[in-house]
Amino acid sequence: MIGALPLAAIPPEDEALRPAIRDFLREAVASIPPERRARSWMGFDEDFSRKLAARGWLGLTFPKEYGGAGRGPFARYVLVEELLAAGAPVSAHWIADRQSGPLIQRFGTEAQRQFYLPRICRGEAFFCIGMSEPNSGSDLASVATRAVREGGGWRLNGAKIWTTNAHRSHYMIALVRTSGAAADRHKGLSQVIVDLRAPGVTINPIRDLSGDAHFSEVVFEDVLLPEDALVGEEGSGWAQVNAELAFERSGPERVLSSAVLLDGWAAWLREAGATEAAEILLGRLLAHLAVLRAMSIAVTGRLVEGESPVVEAALVKDLGTEFEQLIPTLVADALASSARPAPGPLMRTLAYTAAMAPSFSLRGGTREILRGMIARGMGLR
Amino acid sequence: MDGLLARSAEELFTRHAASEAVRAIRAGGSPAALWGEIEASGFLDALVPEAAGGADLGPAEALPVIMAAGRFAVPLPVAETMLARAILAAAGEAAPEGAIALAEPAGEGTARLPPGQHADWALLPLEGRALLLPVAEGREDAEAGSPLGRVLRWPGNAGRPVPAADHDAAGAWAEVAVMAGAMERILEDTVRHARERQQFGRPVAAFQAVQQQVSVMTEDVFAARTAAQLASVADGEGVAGLNQARVAAAKLRVGEAAVRVAAIAHGVQGAMGITEEVDLHLLTARLQLGRMRFGGEARWAAWLGRRFLESGSAETLPFVRTHLAPIATETAP
Repeated sequence: MIGALPLAAIPPEDEALRPAIRDFLREAVASIPPERRARSWMGFDEDFSRKLAARGWLGLTFPKEYGGAGRGPFARYVLVEELLAAGAPVSAHWIADRQSGPLIQRFGTEAQRQFYLPRICRGEAFFCIGMSEPNSGSDLASVATRAVREGGGWRLNGAKIWTTNAHRSHYMIALVRTSGAAADRHKGLSQVIVDLRAPGVTINPIRDLSGDAHFSEVVFEDVLLPEDALVGEEGSGWAQVNAELAFERSGPERVLSSAVLLDGWAAWLREAGATEAAEILLGRLLAHLAVLRAMSIAVTGRLVEGESPVVEAALVKDLGTEFEQLIPTLVADALASSARPAPGPLMRTLAYTAAMAPSFSLRGGTREILRGMIARGMGLR
Repeated sequence: MDGLLARSAEELFTRHAASEAVRAIRAGGSPAALWGEIEASGFLDALVPEAAGGADLGPAEALPVIMAAGRFAVPLPVAETMLARAILAAAGEAAPEGAIALAEPAGEGTARLPPGQHADWALLPLEGRALLLPVAEGREDAEAGSPLGRVLRWPGNAGRPVPAADHDAAGAWAEVAVMAGAMERILEDTVRHARERQQFGRPVAAFQAVQQQVSVMTEDVFAARTAAQLASVADGEGVAGLNQARVAAAKLRVGEAAVRVAAIAHGVQGAMGITEEVDLHLLTARLQLGRMRFGGEARWAAWLGRRFLESGSAETLPFVRTHLAPIATETAP
């Protein structure tokens, strides 16, 4: 059974970061139209990431000796919450800041930490994550990309797909097979850092249904990796990947992906007037937002305490993405049923959010996979 | 829920509110034994200030006790008596002995009360004040009544006038807490059933279709519990510090959860769950009743939506941070 989580609150010292972030964002995103801000953590802007870096807001949780701010998860929670609520284009540094950096910090060697972490903090090293393959999606343990020891390093062959930002990142952390065969499943998997400029790496961007190209196919043909490409222990890739995913399933990015649309619609209601039906819908979405935020903060509170609430995180992600998908569905109905025509920017924001909403419950583990984890947590499997 | 209060409530109800006892009271039997135990436990004075002889606890500390009552489908107004005593104490009035239900107005001198539950008194809000009415002296209007509400009528001069309080938010909070507890129990029973019941040569829990359904249910139970915790943060102006915005959000979120949880539980428990013999209906009927009392989802949603539109918050996150933020509550000792 999954026990209750006590409510947690963001500590005052972390809340204290908020006003400066809001002030900065008020100017920094003011000129970006809402339909672009709607891209949320898919919005890519290197210059914006470097502006954040200049303020010390990249690698907030990394230790100071590596260029970070040495803050805890709740400081990052405040930062990310404000960035996403404003629709700031955070995609360039997003994965390095959220996932790759913490992974290197936790499992990497001292030399890896000293090399990568300061670069991430300066906005000079953008990362992508090579997990899915053409024949390995939800069944991630079946990955076939293989790194074979050769001389002092590794020879890499295979292909990754749906890799967000591969074509505009510097490095990929790839989950690859270093021993055994596909039938060995979790055994024999390792994580390696691939410099995406290395010979033998071909990156083919894939256009998504909204016309953007945020993800790619990446092919490795006899790519030679140095000895220290390996992150963590050889053969521990599966455990490391899961630790990484568990940390990142319950953050604000699982609740706020449609925030720009919700706020745009709410602002229009205030301006144009709201019917009772619109008020009901708005209230309903606010209640969901409040409860999800409390759950997300409660899970973060457990992480801060050193626990690993994997099942609770999966649960928050499934509910959170459902909420993110509910927003475009219900706002579309409200706007379609309204006597007053909605302004163009709001309709364009809706069009983008509604089109991309199906991806919210695919990325980072599909809805079905998450529900399987919850069922296991409940003792059903 | 851990904590001393939760454990002692759980023990009390395990001993004195087993299925047979609950069913007997629902059928009109005497609640004296169970009520006596609850009264002796001191729970009913949880929200009363120390100066007035109470335990001076807040809604967050009382929540586990009320959730426990919900888990057992206790057919007595435990939360409502707690709240009524807090209301009366705040007004400097003595509380009468016995169980007090918070009643909903249903016309002049008329109250709607939960059926299948025993109460000695009805606290009925009435044009800026309230009346404390003896239930035994009310005349039942069978025609207006239903399994979702008893309708009682009193003569014009009946009852003891007491000052008004934020009756609706208090009642809605009580329902939220009871429903969150009932849903926890429904989830446990459904998981147990899925693991025990064999079909096609294996437990039905082994089927992915069932696993997915129970996972959805787990999520809603978890969200309902969080909503109840959020509603129990006492930073408002209502009874025992209840905050109307928090109660609004929780009543609608818990109401939505109740619909899905009841539907999935009945789906997984199949025909057995429809029988009189299995306890599921005691709990799902309680959920249905809870949804119907003190405002449905749409009413509270509209209230919250209007509140946002009238507020100074330009965006939704600042509104939620200001009015609906989680505030860490220490686990009850």
